[in-house]
Amino acid sequence: MSSLDPRINRLELPQIPGGEILKNQEHWITYEVFHIKKRGDHPVHVGCVHAPHPDLALVFAKEQYGRRLACVSLWVCKSSDIHAFSMEDEDMFYSAVSDEKKYRDASGFKVRDKINKFKKGNSDALV
Amino acid sequence: MHSIKNLLYNIADDLLIMGHRHSEWTGLGPILEEDISFSSLAQDKIGLAYQIYKILNETEKEDLPDRIAFLRNESQYRCCQFVELPNGEYDFSLIRHFLFDHAMDLRFRMFGKSNYQPLSFLSRKTAGEMKYHILHADIWIKQLGNNNEISHVRMQKAIEVAFPYSLGMFETFPFEKELIELGIYQGEQEIKISWLEKISMILKEANFNLPDPEKIKPVFGGRTGNHTGFLKPLLEEMNEVYSSDPETEW
Amino acid sequence: MYGGGYIFDKLQDNQVNDDPEKLLLFEERIARGEKIEPRDWMPFDYRRQLIRLIEQHAHSEIIGALPEGTWITRAPGFKRKLALIAKVQDEIGHGQLLYSAAETLGKSRENMINDLLNGKSKYSNVFNYPAETWADVTVIGFLIDAGAIINQITNSKGSYAPYCRALERICYEESFHLKQGHEGLVFLATGTFVQREMLQDALNRWWEPIMHFFGPPDKASVHSEKLMKWKVKMASNDDMRQEFLNTYVPKIWELGLTLPDPKLKKNTETNKWEYTEPNWETFWQVINGNGPCNKERLKVRMWAEEHGRWVRDALKTNQLTQSVPLA
Ligand SMILES: [Fe+2]
Ligand SMILES: [Fe+2]
Ligand SMILES: [Fe+2]
Repeated sequence: MSSLDPRINRLELPQIPGGEILKNQEHWITYEVFHIKKRGDHPVHVGCVHAPHPDLALVFAKEQYGRRLACVSLWVCKSSDIHAFSMEDEDMFYSAVSDEKKYRDASGFKVRDKINKFKKGNSDALV
Repeated sequence: MHSIKNLLYNIADDLLIMGHRHSEWTGLGPILEEDISFSSLAQDKIGLAYQIYKILNETEKEDLPDRIAFLRNESQYRCCQFVELPNGEYDFSLIRHFLFDHAMDLRFRMFGKSNYQPLSFLSRKTAGEMKYHILHADIWIKQLGNNNEISHVRMQKAIEVAFPYSLGMFETFPFEKELIELGIYQGEQEIKISWLEKISMILKEANFNLPDPEKIKPVFGGRTGNHTGFLKPLLEEMNEVYSSDPETEW
Repeated sequence: MYGGGYIFDKLQDNQVNDDPEKLLLFEERIARGEKIEPRDWMPFDYRRQLIRLIEQHAHSEIIGALPEGTWITRAPGFKRKLALIAKVQDEIGHGQLLYSAAETLGKSRENMINDLLNGKSKYSNVFNYPAETWADVTVIGFLIDAGAIINQITNSKGSYAPYCRALERICYEESFHLKQGHEGLVFLATGTFVQREMLQDALNRWWEPIMHFFGPPDKASVHSEKLMKWKVKMASNDDMRQEFLNTYVPKIWELGLTLPDPKLKKNTETNKWEYTEPNWETFWQVINGNGPCNKERLKVRMWAEEHGRWVRDALKTNQLTQSVPLA
């Protein structure tokens, strides 16, 4: 069999054995990648890479996530080192946006009406 | 050939052929992440070769970069034989990348102080790229040296095959002396000395043995247009489409 | 590239009994337009079909790197040479992103690649055709990537969050592929007689695979209703094909090139494109391994895995459990 790709013609192509060809973990473990767009920005999660250890994870992340996106640095950490809440517990976070918690929010404090009313009262009094 | 042109052709041809060889791995790398990383090395080298051909064209009045790269025959090429060799397995490709990029990095650092302005400018522009290439090479060499027996043996063998050829990167050429006197750069010997120092240190950390450079006969010839049998077919392949009609746009 | 013409498993409702209460909440969430995250409860079949869908897409990317890779060492001129390497690199990158998305559903990348190699899992049929000349690279880059974009933008509105996130990034890169493909194609179309002939020949050869790209006509597909409801499948094959024809056929015709289908035209009354049905028997033949390049493609992938093994083994980690990306 001859390929149209000269690169391929230089290889000796193997037969494909049946069954399990790659063993599990053969592609190492996964690292999560965080991307810092510019100085002053928060790191943002952008994806993951398979790597055997942090050094190589950083190199891989640099090319997979930094070759097109502008960025000044990257973080990586083992996926298994990240601790997260279950998405099912999202109701626990509801209070942050609930109406009853307005006292924690700037929108819960409104003075413009009062000031306007006061000003109006004063100017009326001056007449 | 005017002296500076000579130097520029040497480096650009090295970079182009090295990048071309690297690009043969794109899509076939040992793991997807490394495939991507190695492909960037290929692009950076070909891209840098282009920049140097551009200097040749714009400053030294040579032909257009595409025509220089895609229309010369092998005896007109000035690359060292080291870069022409087929990729072989990943061991040889990695070692070559390691030996080549350290030399290129030191060379370009030297160019940073060159009084030939296009080169010192290019040196500043590519410093970050070079840093990444070195980082990539060093991590791999250290990992493959220190981890398991099989990879250690393979890599050590590859070093022994590659080393005599790699010395060919520092082959002198007719105008070298003149360039040193003109303050263009400090010459091949200087680069070689710092290179040997650098790579010996890293190879030692990785538990590899570097053959004694005094006892090794360097493979020269490339700088005078004498090449291995691998360059001719490589160029024919590279030029196949372009040279079918060099007058049209592709 | 390219996830066109997915093959879904038959849905087997009675095989699994998903908790009806959870199913209801799940379906309500999707109906509200919310996304599903990896650790959410999901119906058995949702997980299974998504793994299949995303893994096929990932395979299509890494196998899709091969037909264009055919011309990497021969691309004419610096610009084309660099752009082609960068493009093929992107496709490998897309594969990486997509495998990671599929991994969040619990199937390891190693097993996905095993299923690619042993033929259990398919990839887009177009990549089983050879790239015979340089013009093929431009046709693939323009038209196949165009098809891919339509497909991927559609899928990016689906319900599974990791897949959507990957597609968002991929679509951004595909637009570069489309542009460079189009530019290369226009250069040939407006070039010499020989260049035009080369391009016309490539178009003629690629037309049928391109018509196959979005998969069999809707009337032939049996199980899309539930997949549509779950936002796994986001548009019908025929709709995507129509969108493709509507946007790209005019861009071929405006260059004075032809497509090998005398019936191909837009019906001004229905606003739909009419065309000759491609041979679907051929489509199935190729999917089942009998296309011109199926064997080579898989063997090349096998070569890469096999020759990379000592490199990967040298850096083996001693972690014993499978590692799963988070998001
Ligand atoms: Fe794609
Ligand atoms: Fe892609
Ligand atoms: Fe693409």
